[in-house]
Amino acid sequence: MKIQENLRETARKLLADGEASLVIGYAPGSEVSRVVPAFISREDEVDRLVWNPLCINNLAKYLLDYRHEPGKVAVVVKGCDSRAINRLLQDNQITREKVIILGIPCPGLINPDLVAARLDPGAQITVAAVSEQDFSLQTEEETFTFTRDEALLKKCRDCEQHTPVIADFMLGEEIPPNDPADPFVAVKTLEELPVEERSAYWDKQFSRCLRCYACRNVCPACTCRECVFDQAEPCWVAKANNLSENTAFHLIRAFHVAGRCVDCGECDRVCPVNIPLSLLNRKILKDIKDLFNVPTPGTSLEELPPLGAFTKSDPDEFM
Amino acid sequence: MKAYTITRDNLGAWLDALARDYTLIAPVREEETVSLFKPVRGFAEINLGYTNSTVSPKGWLFPQTEEMFFFSTGGGQITLADAQTPGPAVLFGLRPCDIKGILALDPVFNGAYQDCYYQKRRQDTILVGLSCTRVERHCFCTSMGGGPTDGGGADLLLTEMDDGYGIEVLTPRGEELVNRYQQYFDADRENRVIPAREELGKKLAGQFTRNVDTTGVKEFLDQHFELPYWGELARRCLGCGICTYICPTCHCFDIFDQSPDGELGVRSRCWDSCMFSHFTRMAGGHNPRPTQKERVRNRFLHKLKYHRDRYNLDGCVGCGRCVTRCPVNIDIRQIIADLQEVARHD
Repeated sequence: MKIQENLRETARKLLADGEASLVIGYAPGSEVSRVVPAFISREDEVDRLVWNPLCINNLAKYLLDYRHEPGKVAVVVKGCDSRAINRLLQDNQITREKVIILGIPCPGLINPDLVAARLDPGAQITVAAVSEQDFSLQTEEETFTFTRDEALLKKCRDCEQHTPVIADFMLGEEIPPNDPADPFVAVKTLEELPVEERSAYWDKQFSRCLRCYACRNVCPACTCRECVFDQAEPCWVAKANNLSENTAFHLIRAFHVAGRCVDCGECDRVCPVNIPLSLLNRKILKDIKDLFNVPTPGTSLEELPPLGAFTKSDPDEFM
Repeated sequence: MKAYTITRDNLGAWLDALARDYTLIAPVREEETVSLFKPVRGFAEINLGYTNSTVSPKGWLFPQTEEMFFFSTGGGQITLADAQTPGPAVLFGLRPCDIKGILALDPVFNGAYQDCYYQKRRQDTILVGLSCTRVERHCFCTSMGGGPTDGGGADLLLTEMDDGYGIEVLTPRGEELVNRYQQYFDADRENRVIPAREELGKKLAGQFTRNVDTTGVKEFLDQHFELPYWGELARRCLGCGICTYICPTCHCFDIFDQSPDGELGVRSRCWDSCMFSHFTRMAGGHNPRPTQKERVRNRFLHKLKYHRDRYNLDGCVGCGRCVTRCPVNIDIRQIIADLQEVARHD
C-alpha cells in the first residue's frame, strides 16, 4: 500500500501547491471488483484515490478532455498506459509542460471477474498486495488470495513494461521487465490457418460487432477531431450494421492505428461482444516490427512511428 | 390459464418443429462469454442455460439495421417498393426482464404513433418466455417492478422443473401454438407447474445482491434538471454506444439512404445512440447537447423520468447489462442511490 500512500501524498501536494489543477486517477467503483476513473481537483478528495490490482483502465486519453484548461493535469499511468502518453505527445495532442505524469510500476493486474466471483460486491478492499506467486486482497472482513496463475489478467501475461517509460513522479520501486513471453503466439496460430478459415474466423467475429465504437473511443491512438466513421459525406462506411460494413470499420480502424497502437489492450477489454481486437492490432504490430525492427509504439518518445517518420534512407522500391 | 408439461426430449423435438414452421429466434452461445438471440435451424443450436444474453433480444422486433423501402428515381419518376418482412416468427427463451423490455417498447412504436415496421414484426412474432434459474450479480429486476419468474407479457412462459419444463399459457395466441403442437405436451394434471414457478421465484428472490430503491427519484428529477452530478458522472463517460445498444428499452434510430448511383437505392433505419456526440447535431452545426454531460443526463432521465412521463412505465427493467458492460463503471444502480443522496441534501 506504499504506492497508494505515495500517490495520495503526491496528489495532495500537487493540488496544495497549485502545481496541478486536476489529478486523474482511480477511485473505488460501484462494487468491489471495479474501480472508476476519478477526477480529483480538491485536496480533501485526495483520499478517494486508490491503487490496487483492479486498476485496469488506461487513463491517458482523458488528458485530451483537459488540453485547453489553463492549469496542469496530473495523470496516473502504469507501464502499458505510459506508452500512450508518449504516443499523444508525439502526435502533439498534449503538451509535455502541461501534464504531470504519475508513474506506477505495475506488477500485473487481476481478472476482475474472479474477484467478483469470490468477494462480496459491497466489500471495500483495504489492503492489496501482489507477490510473485499471488494476489492478496484484504477487506474489512477477511483476506482473499488468488494465485497469479489463475488470476493474472490476460493482457498482463506478456507485459512489456511494468515500469512506466515516462514519468515525472515514479511512485514505486522500478520493476525490471519479465523474460517476455512471445506476445504474438495467438497471431502466429491464426496466420498459419488456411485463408478460408482465417476469413471465416474474422467474419464470425465482425458479424456480431454492434458498432458501438467503444474500441475507438477508448483508444489513445484515436484522436481525430472528426472520425471518418462519423462522417455522412463522404460516406466511407455506411451506418448499416452488416458483415461488409463492420469488416470495413474494423480494417480501416486497424490500419489507421497501425504503427501508433501502443498495445494497451483497452479495445479488447471494452468490447461488449468480446471481439478479440488486440489480435487484429497485434497482427499489424508484428508486421511492423518485422518490417522496420522498431519497438512497440510509445516505448520511446524519440522513436517516431515508422509510418509517420521520414528518412532519406527509406527504401522506396514500391514507388 | 392452462398449464402443461414437456419432457426435455420433447422440448428438443418441439423446437426443431418450430424452426421448421416459423423463423425461430433463440439464445445462442458465441464464444465462451457471449450469448445472443439469433435465428436458429433447430434445438441443437440453442443454449437455454444462459442467464442474460449479452445484447437484449429487442433486435428481432426493432432490428439494428432495418430496410424500410426501396426507391428508384429513373425517368423523372419516383417509384417505391416495400422491403421484405420476415413473416411468422417465434422469439423463444425470453427472460422476464426482456419481456418487460418489449412491453416498454410497445407504446413507443405501437401506441399513439403506429410504426408499421415494428407493428408488423410484433404481430407476426410469438413470445415464449423462460423463467430464470439463476440471478446474476448485476440483476436487479425485482427493484424495477419485475421478477425472475414474472413472465407477464409473453404468450407462453416456460419454467424449468426437475423432469422437464412447465408451460403456462398466458394468451390466446399462446394457446393456439400449444394446440398446434399438442403431441409434445402433457396436461398439467397434478397442477405442479404454477407452484413450481412460484417456489422458484421465492428461492431466486433471496439471491439478488443489490436492491435498488427508486422511491422519490422521479419526483426529484421532475424538479431538478440541472445538477452538477451529471457533469461529474460524464467526465469518465467514453461516449460509446454500449449501454444504449445492449439495453432492452433504448429505441433511438436514424434514417439513411444508400444509393450507389443516385437512381436505385434503399432507405433504412438503424440504431442510434444518445451517447454519441453527433446524435443531436443539426445540419447547421448547432448541437443542443453539446457535451457528454447533457448526453449522459439525457440517458438517465429517459430511463428514470421521461419514459414514465410519457407511458407511465419504467424506462429500465433492471436487466443489469449496462452495469456489466460499461467500461468505466457507470452503474445505474449507483446513480439511483446517488440521486437519492443528492435529493436528501437538497
